[in-house]
Amino acid sequence: MSETKPLYSKRPEWSDVVPVEQYEIVNPVAPIFYSEQYKDATNYFRAITKMGEKSPRVLELTESIIRQNPAHYTAWQYRYETLCATNASLADELKLMDEIAIKHLKTYQVWHHRRLLLTTLRKPKPELEFIKKVLHEDTKNYHTWSYRQWLLAHFGADGASINKDGEEEYDLADLWEGELDFVDSMLNQDVRNNSAWHHRFFVVWGCGIREGEQDRERVFKRELIYVKQNISLAPNNPSAWNYLRGILKSTKTPLSSVSTFVLPYTRPRDPTASRDIVDLENPPPSEGADLPSVQAVEFLADILEEKGSESDINQAVELWKSLATELDTIRRKYWEHRIRDAHLKLKASK
Amino acid sequence: MALTSTTSPQGSSSKEIPSTDTLLADLHVQYIQNLGKSTSDLTYHLTAHLRLNAIYWGYTALRIMGRGDALDRDEMIDFVMRCWDDAEGGFAAHPGHDAHLLSTLSAIQILIMQDALDRIDVERVVKFILSLQAPSGVFMGDKWGEEDTRFLYCAVSALSLLSSLHLLDQERTVQYLIDCKNYDGGFGSVIGAESHAARVFVCVGALAILGRMDVVDEETLGWWLAERQLPNGGLNGRPEKLEDVCYSFWVLSAMAILKKVGWIDEKKLVAFILSAQDPEGGGIADRPGDMPDVFHTLFGVAGEWILCF
Ligand SMILES: [Zn+2]
Repeated sequence: MSETKPLYSKRPEWSDVVPVEQYEIVNPVAPIFYSEQYKDATNYFRAITKMGEKSPRVLELTESIIRQNPAHYTAWQYRYETLCATNASLADELKLMDEIAIKHLKTYQVWHHRRLLLTTLRKPKPELEFIKKVLHEDTKNYHTWSYRQWLLAHFGADGASINKDGEEEYDLADLWEGELDFVDSMLNQDVRNNSAWHHRFFVVWGCGIREGEQDRERVFKRELIYVKQNISLAPNNPSAWNYLRGILKSTKTPLSSVSTFVLPYTRPRDPTASRDIVDLENPPPSEGADLPSVQAVEFLADILEEKGSESDINQAVELWKSLATELDTIRRKYWEHRIRDAHLKLKASK
Repeated sequence: MALTSTTSPQGSSSKEIPSTDTLLADLHVQYIQNLGKSTSDLTYHLTAHLRLNAIYWGYTALRIMGRGDALDRDEMIDFVMRCWDDAEGGFAAHPGHDAHLLSTLSAIQILIMQDALDRIDVERVVKFILSLQAPSGVFMGDKWGEEDTRFLYCAVSALSLLSSLHLLDQERTVQYLIDCKNYDGGFGSVIGAESHAARVFVCVGALAILGRMDVVDEETLGWWLAERQLPNGGLNGRPEKLEDVCYSFWVLSAMAILKKVGWIDEKKLVAFILSAQDPEGGGIADRPGDMPDVFHTLFGVAGEWILCF
């Protein structure tokens, strides 16, 4: 905070402005002793907005307010209007924002302001680096991840790199190029980061198909191997299991296609199983993994229900019972619902 | 009481700290009543941008606890009306600020609960709300242009409360929600964003109001919501995140719409919510041991209410 700077009411360059006090005082008896500095700045801000002044000193004033209260959306909004009105350098503004964003990652306005700047600046590639750096501070920050998704969707779409004059402003392929490696590095840091798994889905399945990714069969196989390997490292990771479900669903592949892979995760460890044979399609649970995995048991029950014969359903019911009474008791009522539901369906099919 | 007592010199307190096994409704009522009185705090001024929302949260919590009379009706309506932004035709969060969708919904909700909707120019408010719909179908919070399914919900809910849904481009609105649907059955804040319990509530809430629950994959989403409960009873907003009292509302209300509240372990969740109460000063925090605030107080009380309802 700018502790060393004098109050606006003491600065000669602001002497032409009459500050506007907060007129709302709910309890006039209570003395106002909230920060003198914040009060001073917002008094001048109220005056400025009333006058409609848009000048360099307004940028200084709004910066001071934002640093004290980054959620002050009117100050952000007025700042952006002032930037545009004074033809200020948006590149400089972005540099300033690099510093402010890192301090206030959880504030909506920080990200929206960036988005406005980028829409005009149209230089998406360095942003990806910036986001990577910021995610280092807070690996699951919702705003940061959705900003990255916006950036890729907005600037990464077909034709998005061509400006009004028909010139190519940045390399489209280059923008996407590092995305899978980036997700991979995030997951290497924390394989349970759901935001990173979601982002992988967004990149591979959710936002268009790019050069080198057209062979969907190959992409599907690659993703299957990738997610299975990660499940093998941490068999109780719901995000990875969800990703597996997601890619099967989006390619309309039956759950049973991965039965062989799922099975060893649904049982206590088999001490006799050899780990010498490397089977990429079916990597076994890592040593020391906590088995059985709840998500695997759940998955196997879904496979059985999907198959649908009476004996399959009966086996599924047994699995749901073990979830309800032993493995996942907090969701007992949900598993009981699945049992009831399966019985009803079985009855109806007879 | 808690305001005057500081530390006792003997180190022993004369007043008894109540147990958090039950909802400490009287204390919460006092806590909410006292909120408006600490206007000298810096925090009070730093949260001016949420003032009207905070009044809505506090008043709704009071209504749920059957104590709607604990705040002065005329003062409240007067404050709401002073938040009217005549240039924009909507409500700001604070007198002198700019109109925003979040505060506009809060204003409408407060006025309806206070039976004072006749104080507003419905036609102008509806025009303001509709003006914030983006070409994609999502809504912006204000003219500054931030987009989020939160704002879409605010718009749909407000229009419905003002009996003006027929003026909304519903196809476009629903299409945006369809585009926000993720592989896990949940919804995010914008197209492409990760599923998040609070966004699931706003998207499902909007679809329910619009009569378009066919868009929702109810089994998958119900499962995803049930998955939010952690062994300690609390609910989180995304996989592998910490539990937080506010998700009691976001998750439960979405499950209530799906008619699946029964999938939650109610006893454990209630115990978790109650353990986050401040047994001295009142109010509920995000999790046990943290400072209470009015937002989590409402969502704790509301969560408890959904479970008992
Ligand atoms: Zn919370």
